[in-house]
Amino acid sequence: MNNSKQFAKMFTAQIKMMFREKQVWFWNIFFPIILMVIFMIIFGGGSSDSFKAKIAVVDPQPNATSGMLLEQLRQIPVLEFEDDAPVSKEIGTEWVEKQDINALIILPESESAATVQLIVNKEDEQGVTTQAVAGVLDKLVQQANLAVAGATETFRMTTESVSSGADDLSYADFLLTGMIGLSVAQGGLFGMVELVDMRRRGLMTRLRMTPANMNLYGMAGMLVRLMLGIIQIVILSLIGVFGFGASLHINVFSLAIALIAGGLVFNAMGYLFSSFSKTIEAYMGMANIASMLMMFLSGVFFPLETLPEWLQPVTQVLPLTYFVDGMRDGLIYASGIASSAFWIGIGIMILWGVVSFLIGSQVYKTKSISATR
Amino acid sequence: MPVLEVRNLKKAYGQVTAVADISFSVEAGEVFTIIGPNGAGKTTTLEMIEGLVTPDAGQIEFGPLNWARNSEQIKVTIGVQPQSSALFDLLTVEENLDLFASFYPKSRPTAEVLDMISLTDQRNKHVKKLSGGQKQRLAIGLAMINDPALIFLDEPTTGLDPQARRNIWDIILKLKELGKTTILTTHYMEEAEKLSDRVCIVDQGKIVTLDTPAALIERLTKEREVRLTLMDGEAAAIETEKIALLQSSVVRTNREGDSLQLWTTQPEETLYELFGFTKDRGFRVEQISIHEMSLEDVFIAFTGKEWRD
Repeated sequence: MNNSKQFAKMFTAQIKMMFREKQVWFWNIFFPIILMVIFMIIFGGGSSDSFKAKIAVVDPQPNATSGMLLEQLRQIPVLEFEDDAPVSKEIGTEWVEKQDINALIILPESESAATVQLIVNKEDEQGVTTQAVAGVLDKLVQQANLAVAGATETFRMTTESVSSGADDLSYADFLLTGMIGLSVAQGGLFGMVELVDMRRRGLMTRLRMTPANMNLYGMAGMLVRLMLGIIQIVILSLIGVFGFGASLHINVFSLAIALIAGGLVFNAMGYLFSSFSKTIEAYMGMANIASMLMMFLSGVFFPLETLPEWLQPVTQVLPLTYFVDGMRDGLIYASGIASSAFWIGIGIMILWGVVSFLIGSQVYKTKSISATR
Repeated sequence: MPVLEVRNLKKAYGQVTAVADISFSVEAGEVFTIIGPNGAGKTTTLEMIEGLVTPDAGQIEFGPLNWARNSEQIKVTIGVQPQSSALFDLLTVEENLDLFASFYPKSRPTAEVLDMISLTDQRNKHVKKLSGGQKQRLAIGLAMINDPALIFLDEPTTGLDPQARRNIWDIILKLKELGKTTILTTHYMEEAEKLSDRVCIVDQGKIVTLDTPAALIERLTKEREVRLTLMDGEAAAIETEKIALLQSSVVRTNREGDSLQLWTTQPEETLYELFGFTKDRGFRVEQISIHEMSLEDVFIAFTGKEWRD
């Protein structure tokens, strides 16, 4: 029997098994949809509006500088003024306290003492909007400084980043791509439970009694899960676009690369868990811990910038961070393959994949045969 | 030339010796049965022969082939039905057979296998919807998909109802007709007696005895146990017992109330004499039985243990 025929049979058999398992449908398709809808309703304001921040301005002693800054602030589309005219500091602060507005900006009192003050609610201190407004304001002050110094801008940053108010990126896009990344990752992390189940039921032993090529069997399984990943991307994207008005700019090439790298790393991690697990419960426990940790530390639901600074290094080593980034590169930025950040991310993912796989196969090897039965 | 030869197999798991020293050889075309109580070392022996467990010592040879040098060739020439019928639950009967067929360079047509295991009508059923007996038959079907010369069946009938067991016996007999060699393990003495050409009794990791079922039974002492109950009370039984003991063929007797147990080397003659006596005295006899010797007795005789299913 040639290998390609064997591979074809293994592939079709595993495809059938996957589609016949109701759990696969639930956890890989319906569960992410439910989760996405919930998050969208809670955090998306129920609409797909572009990012907006409500602000008010205090201009204690109108002067040339404050006038110029005010004018520039009015031109920034993402900033919405609660009151067109400047308000008193007391009223503005009260609005912030009541969270009627996201931020209160106090303009400089004189042309020389040019301090711009930003007042936000303590609760929102780490929020996306606060970060965005601070970013916008910071940029504005820098430009003002340059203007005062009579310098022209030599360096200009053109990168748009999600959290700093790129105004065509909606939360729907952000969440949708995060959810897609998460579900594909979970497909791999949880999918390898099949190995534990097969071992428990003696199927592994049974296959070892035949001349079946187990590497082919594993590769067929990977391909099946990759196909599940494509199905997840298509279904979730359709729901995101038509249900929540997400707008996608797809770069198929970077999407495909990110998907394959992700398939590799999360399947390898699942394989590693399976090597340690004697029971399905043990496996599920490990997969859940890994999935939970990464879910909140990899920028799936909220931008990484909202996490406390001391956690940032952690986020920078997790593979899901880069996978979700890769999905966003491929689905909404239509970029990726040209940027070095994309390739570094892919590299880190592959490193995780290779290390997990090597440890996993070592554990399998060192366990005696009777113990793996 | 034997198709399988096993010499001085040994295997221990830590402090526990599973197989102490086992040697035997299996000839082409025979049904070779290994019986013994749980923990006797049957499955470990089989797993070593099947290449799943490496023996601590000993040789296993499939004609000119052995596991160290020819594992792929051996896998092609043997078929295995493991104790836990390992099947793909979410595939149909036919899909399971097709998948396994793809592992081998040559395979027996699926339709033929389905017919042999009588699952043609269930071929499109998902495995998880099959009955225990049907699953076991499919497991045997998978073991024969590569048309192997040597088939291992590890307790194929354990836990099945009598009808399902009989169906599996039929398959084993069909395999024999096809000239296949079958190595069978079982709990059931009746099964070993009915199906095997030779029986190997294993206890505590060692072969207790190995021969044809008939020869094994033959080897036991010739005395047979006869039981009879008299309807005319204890006195009649006591008198009959005395007469029985007068005969040279009767070795010993035992009496409980009006029922009598006697061990004789010539049951027909003993009974003839006894009936002559009871007829003369007008005693009525009810319930007569001559206990048939079985492998169970062989087991008890050789190991001194009770047999428990």
